[in-house]
Amino acid sequence: MLIHFYWLDPTVLFFPQHLPMAGLWSAIFAALPVTEADFPLDFSEKIEPSLVEVLKQCRQQLYSGRCQWMQDAQIILDFSWEKLNTGTWRDVDKEWRCVYSYGCLFKVASLCREDASAVKVQEAIRTCDMGLLMGASIMDNVLQRIIRILQNKVWKSHYKEDPNEGVSPKKLKVDCDPVIKQALAVPRIRCPSLERFKNDYLDTQKPVILEGIIDHWPAFKNHPWSLEYLQTVAGCRTVPVEVGSRYTDENWSQTLLTINEFIDQYIVKNTTDLGYLAQHQLFDQIPELRDDILIPDYCCLGDGDEDDITINAWFGPGGTVSPLHHDPQLNFLAQVVGRKYIRLYSPEDTDKLYPHQSQLLNNTSQVEVESPDIEKFPEFVNAPYLECVLQPGDVLFIPVKHWHYVRSLELSFSVSFWWS
Amino acid sequence: MNWFGFGFNGFGQIQRHEKSTAGESNRDVKLTKPITLDVCRNLESTQICQQNSNITHIRASWSRIVALHSNSHGRLRLAGFGVWTAPQKCGVEDSRECQDADISEEHMALSFRDRVEIWSLRENKPVWCMEVKTSDNTGPSLAFPLVPGGYIASRSPFYRPLSPQLLAISLALGTQHAVLLSASGVVYTWGCGSHGQLGHGDLSPEEEPRALEALMGLQMSSVAAGGWHSVCISAGGDLYVWGWNESGQVGLPSRSLRGGQLKTQCAGSASTCKDQENSDEVFISIQAFPALVDVTELCEVSKVSCGSRHTAAVTSSGDLYTWGWGEYGQLGQGNMSSSDEPKQVRFFKDQGLRVLDVVCGPWNTFVSAVKEDPPHPEDLSSALTI
Repeated sequence: MLIHFYWLDPTVLFFPQHLPMAGLWSAIFAALPVTEADFPLDFSEKIEPSLVEVLKQCRQQLYSGRCQWMQDAQIILDFSWEKLNTGTWRDVDKEWRCVYSYGCLFKVASLCREDASAVKVQEAIRTCDMGLLMGASIMDNVLQRIIRILQNKVWKSHYKEDPNEGVSPKKLKVDCDPVIKQALAVPRIRCPSLERFKNDYLDTQKPVILEGIIDHWPAFKNHPWSLEYLQTVAGCRTVPVEVGSRYTDENWSQTLLTINEFIDQYIVKNTTDLGYLAQHQLFDQIPELRDDILIPDYCCLGDGDEDDITINAWFGPGGTVSPLHHDPQLNFLAQVVGRKYIRLYSPEDTDKLYPHQSQLLNNTSQVEVESPDIEKFPEFVNAPYLECVLQPGDVLFIPVKHWHYVRSLELSFSVSFWWS
Repeated sequence: MNWFGFGFNGFGQIQRHEKSTAGESNRDVKLTKPITLDVCRNLESTQICQQNSNITHIRASWSRIVALHSNSHGRLRLAGFGVWTAPQKCGVEDSRECQDADISEEHMALSFRDRVEIWSLRENKPVWCMEVKTSDNTGPSLAFPLVPGGYIASRSPFYRPLSPQLLAISLALGTQHAVLLSASGVVYTWGCGSHGQLGHGDLSPEEEPRALEALMGLQMSSVAAGGWHSVCISAGGDLYVWGWNESGQVGLPSRSLRGGQLKTQCAGSASTCKDQENSDEVFISIQAFPALVDVTELCEVSKVSCGSRHTAAVTSSGDLYTWGWGEYGQLGQGNMSSSDEPKQVRFFKDQGLRVLDVVCGPWNTFVSAVKEDPPHPEDLSSALTI
């Protein structure tokens, strides 16, 4: 994969301060209902009347244009944020996620109300993304529509002060490249028929690498994915990033960065800190990237609807590690950029893999696969496994509950499809 | 004694919003410095009730406060959302002899000598009542929301039983967890543990009260619970805190606070940023075991209370310290900054006031204080002879 860096050339760069921002407010206002009466704010009794009053106050100010409603928008965001963090995520009532989205919408409107500077537009895009990440769709997905308006204003906001600093992306870590033992290699098969895949692999729950089934993706053909392409399409979009080498580490944390910031801080810069855009439903957030990939035909062998398939993005520098773990669904792991070393263990050998005791990490092994502590975990070396280096264009089939360990060997972008 | 409030005032619950001549309300939503409460102003709307000093208890929900007065036979007064516009709601009728109260967004609980009533704040009337037979209670005296045999929750089911073996003497309810103190000074916690708020060292929930092993052997005298954190004071006046440190509410270095500072510096110059990153700072996101937090080296902690994301403590010397989330001015420091270390609220010292008690609402703080007695002449002379 060729990675172009002409975005570092100052002659190509432009910061869109000269672009007309005046039309921005009218464009955004046009995306909203025409009158205050058409702007829906209907909630059940779960939403406290006090907060509903603040929401209505915001709406009234938005249409009367008399006052600044930023403060009220922030109150709505702070209040609903606390509700979103109360209890486990899946138990949070969807209505609170809607309220959070309304808070984002009011904040965005306030940011763009008067001649919005480039900084404010960036903040507005970030606010929309927060709504898309944590909120729920409101008013015919108004936040997605507003992002489109804002992005048209900011073609490319990437800006680098010193282009001489850290130009080279992380080099291939050649010294770490594992040698795959032929006897342990995951079998490979080129474009098998649906029936063959079902009989030989799906029904028997055997891992396999499928070759040649994603070559036609626009992500390979029409606009090959590269850092440059990602920055053009989605550079100013905010995404969750895992910081720390692996999620079982104590100093591991999650943070929110724009794709540009992530690329600058964790991919281009020569740093020992690891950042990983992992297990994120990026394609729901950014439809432009969703258009570049296709759901593998083999997923039709499953029971579920296409909507039940979870598509996740995995994007990061070389050296990111997903500790040995298993997932509750079938998985197609499609490699688009770079290579990944992967090791697979059968569920039959779980007793040799020492899963964490706690409920939260029960699907994760305590063993560091490539440098196991054999005194602490003596049985681990007796567990049989398969391994492979996944190349761009490869799709790895991981059966349900199969333990897998993943390490990126270089800058890598993978797409996983969880299906049943 | 006087009551002060600061922090979130979005519904005029601390200081009533003045209507300007244009009819637009001039809303001071964030009060960053302590001011005298307006809660007495509502009965006769123009006349300020002098005795703010008769308030014995203050409880706050997000949008309202309720104050219990000693000079009107335990009459409750409300301030905040929906109150100023409907003055008849200000003094809660039939609240004579009320001894304690609590308030949430939906309900208000009134504790009387012989019963507990739950009022719906939507409907402004009692919706639930439970008889309390004081003769049933042979054990230690109970602090509300404890009642004989159990406690009163803010959501249905309102009455929830507790094992008599716990010998509970006080109980603090967080957003989704509970912290209980037994007569022998043992702390029990249960409920949601997702942010370490139970203090057992993991993030698992507990259905039943579980003794906090880490504090075994230390006698505790007081407990408090916030949105996702918990606090207790030992008999010796030490403060232990655990749970989510997202805004520094635990009082330990918080990444979001220091990270924020780092970012601002980064914007200025790239080199400062690097230096910062290289320093070996340890951040605490979740403190899953009780941690001893030094409020001040000089004296003991006597009172503590938690907001949803902030903490306030009173020392034996009558000083107030606050830390945690400060966006709405709830730390009383004259700004809207959050802090991950306890800081003294200078206002009271500067005014010659001695702080007696502190009660936090979710996003605000209420403090009772008295004029500090001038030093006794005899004490002065003896001090001089030494």
